[in-house]
Amino acid sequence: MQIIETHKLTKEFNGLVAVDHVTFSVRQGEIFGFLGPNGAGKTTTINMLTTLLLPTSGEAYISGLDVVREASQVRRKIGLVPQEVVLEGDLTARQNLLFHGMLYGVSRRQLEARIPELLELVGLRERADSKVRTFSGGMKRRLELVKVLVHEPEVIFLDEPTIGLDPQTRRKIWEYIQTLNRERGVTIFLTTHYMEEADYLCDRVCIIDHGKILDIDTPGKLKDKIGEGDIIEVEVSGRGKVFARALEKECSCRIKKVEGNSIAVSARRGEYALKEIFSLAERLGMEVTSISVREPTLEDVFIHYTGRRIREELASGGSMMKYLARRLKH
Amino acid sequence: MSFLRELYVVFWKEMLLWINNPMLPVVRALVFPMMWIVIFGSAFGGEVNHIPLAVVMGDTGELSAEYLNVLNTGTTLDIKNTNLATAHRMLKNREVYGVLYIPEDFSKKLASGEKVSVVLSLDETTPQISSAIVAHVTGITQYFSKNIALAGDRVAVEKNTLFGRGIEYLDYLAPGVVMMTILFSAFFSGGMNLILDREFGTLKMLMVSPISRDAIILGKIFAGVVQSITSGIVALMVALLMGVHLKSGVPGFFMIILLMFIAGFGFIGMSTAIGTRITELEQLMVMMMVIIMPMWFLSGGLYPLESMPDWMRPLAIVNPMTYATDAARAIMIRGIIWETLALDLAIISTFALAMFLIGSYSFKKTLGGVK
Repeated sequence: MQIIETHKLTKEFNGLVAVDHVTFSVRQGEIFGFLGPNGAGKTTTINMLTTLLLPTSGEAYISGLDVVREASQVRRKIGLVPQEVVLEGDLTARQNLLFHGMLYGVSRRQLEARIPELLELVGLRERADSKVRTFSGGMKRRLELVKVLVHEPEVIFLDEPTIGLDPQTRRKIWEYIQTLNRERGVTIFLTTHYMEEADYLCDRVCIIDHGKILDIDTPGKLKDKIGEGDIIEVEVSGRGKVFARALEKECSCRIKKVEGNSIAVSARRGEYALKEIFSLAERLGMEVTSISVREPTLEDVFIHYTGRRIREELASGGSMMKYLARRLKH
Repeated sequence: MSFLRELYVVFWKEMLLWINNPMLPVVRALVFPMMWIVIFGSAFGGEVNHIPLAVVMGDTGELSAEYLNVLNTGTTLDIKNTNLATAHRMLKNREVYGVLYIPEDFSKKLASGEKVSVVLSLDETTPQISSAIVAHVTGITQYFSKNIALAGDRVAVEKNTLFGRGIEYLDYLAPGVVMMTILFSAFFSGGMNLILDREFGTLKMLMVSPISRDAIILGKIFAGVVQSITSGIVALMVALLMGVHLKSGVPGFFMIILLMFIAGFGFIGMSTAIGTRITELEQLMVMMMVIIMPMWFLSGGLYPLESMPDWMRPLAIVNPMTYATDAARAIMIRGIIWETLALDLAIISTFALAMFLIGSYSFKKTLGGVK
């Protein structure tokens, strides 16, 4: 059964198209991820799906309910964990969950049973009566995850659930998300710009850039689509373009990207391609200054579709400006 | 879930937050007003001008006309020459601050070398003003007696206080401070609360929940009003403990609370409207300096409006805080006299209703999204 369905969902802000005719569906019980760089339209999509923002055009349904016309019924079926922490720092963990439950009209009796259980689930039971202000970033995230479960929603939306957390805490959060999904059977829609996160957590990933969907599939299939086998990154002493042209002509690998004197290629059998690369370099009178072989990641998938890395846009202020300028032209 | 229940949920959370963090309310409710009362209670002095004073000429003699002429010099007083009944009505309705009565045998007695007294009846609601009147009238009378009537010191001023005992500056200041506490608390509970909510995304949490938009708005506004009134009541208690005058006792106390309630709605509405127009805390602090502080300083809460330069008075007249302060002071010093309270109450209620509507409307607009 499809729990989320959109049809040509579009949002424009003053002529700027943030989400561009997006059509996808999410099955009940799966972890579905929106992967894309900052500004790709991920949060805007979430805001429309969670009734916070009116779509410019197109439709979206949660459990068959229209997010615009049946907004208040939709609100009962969903839980949202936005990017920013939305806990009340001056309330205790328990009071935060209590208030959340009251907002959804959950009875006191049910709340008394549910709250300790949920706190237990994310290891916060001992801190139930401490003010949230005193919690670490990871603890707050954990509390947010179970807070939205208090009213037993059918689907929860996690907007960049691990943004700004250290790798160790991130791992922990991933595990909790999986636990919620498996033990509670709750469907999870998440957005992320960390490809490892999408790869590790999601049953299916939707790659989005500039408000448009590039592809939707399981992480494994997405990676298979772009290259058969391994990714080899070579750096040569001469001009990369010359080397790449020769490599394409003579070897069994496909050029993915050329940048200055570094080349990325994909090859069905990495170890065989390595030999070819070295002998070609010798013939061209170039030297291989560095080389690495690795399995493809979702980052490679993104590069395959856009020619860019997911996070390169935010590398410096200058490129950020260029990026914005490009967005405005579109 | 019924609307009232939804309203209660939002209200409950706001109040819980308020109680959970006792520092802020205590600072707002106690330290602020005490500071103001103590610091300003013993400071301040200055000149007042154009004080309306009614003069009743009981005598038609030449000397009394002379006397009136001398009284009319300078800008301290605005003399209104009238009959006794009108004068007393004007005093009661606060059109004048005092009535000076010149007895019928004034000229005759002076001519025959006898002692005479003029009678000065004062409304001491505003001590700076009554003392300015006393000083001016006494000075003029002495001058008249010595130099014009050539009667030595045979002309005396008999003083007559209309409302209660001698009023001190503290009595004058306290009602203003009580209203100021409401104004400032409302500013924090309304506008600042809203901005923090948006900054921390807690408003989003309400928006994504099935609770109705009206319940969110009303719940927050009601909580803000209750929080401000609580601060106001604490300030009033502090003032009473410091010996401030409360003429009409318990009914007066409740009347002030009613006034706080009305004004609280207006101020919360106002600060909500400000809060929805602004996204950052820094900007709000600027608003505080530009709107809230002048509202307080131009309210006649610290010093009578009569001491303001003429160009500034219109600002005080359009300032709702002026009427809130005036009403609170009238209740505390003069007691509940409906005729004099009516205008103040009407203006404050209109202001409160308008601000409540504007505040909730602009709040609703910022909530935006799907209804």
